[in-house]
Amino acid sequence: MRLYDIVVLVTPDLSDEDAAKVAGEYKKILVDGGANVVKEEPWGKRRLAFPILRKREAHYVYWQVEAPPAAVAEAERRMGLSDQVLRHLAVRVDEELKRAAKMAERLKIKAVRRPPRPPAQPAEASAPAPAAATERSSEP
Amino acid sequence: MRMGGGSGRTGARGAAASKDGKGGPRKKFFVRRRKVCKFCAEKIEHIDWKDVKMLQGFIPERGKILPRRISGTCALHQRKLQTAIKRARSIALLPYATD
Repeated sequence: MRLYDIVVLVTPDLSDEDAAKVAGEYKKILVDGGANVVKEEPWGKRRLAFPILRKREAHYVYWQVEAPPAAVAEAERRMGLSDQVLRHLAVRVDEELKRAAKMAERLKIKAVRRPPRPPAQPAEASAPAPAAATERSSEP
Repeated sequence: MRMGGGSGRTGARGAAASKDGKGGPRKKFFVRRRKVCKFCAEKIEHIDWKDVKMLQGFIPERGKILPRRISGTCALHQRKLQTAIKRARSIALLPYATD
């Protein structure tokens, strides 16, 4: 089981309910394939950044899904065949999230190791400059 | 964008430099605002390709990806930003090009 972000763009020619129905079919494929839906967010009708098949809008549907790869592959294959789906994207996110969490942890450890002044370098860079200036002006 | 009083630290630094420049030998010193990687500064670990508003900040008018030399993003985060923008483009959240 892997975590995926999946987005489907459904034609704007369909009404909201019909678009939801079309998206539901793919969700069913995923669920039948052994997936469980973690998040489901219909983003609604959005303007496209560029026209796709002469269409300027689309119904966006987003899921975060914990699924076996085969189920996602099958859903994507069907999406590609459908005329009602303008675009689709499935991205595996579990490893990225894991890496991000690891990085956050490492940052935390770093912060604990030297707590006195976290913005160390910029402070150092700016501090000596005025000091040097006053020295120079007082000398002559 | 490059010069002038920035926020916080950079502002203080700029003031110090101008004071220095007045009678001192470093007259031609150009105060350049130090660029900091946005993601490092705000400790954003995961660059989300769904966050269109954030990504749009790295898309100039033409629709291209803002280069590191201008945005100041560090190499690691620029790479992640790049893939995020490309993913967003593929589902028409962001443009490939605009004129």
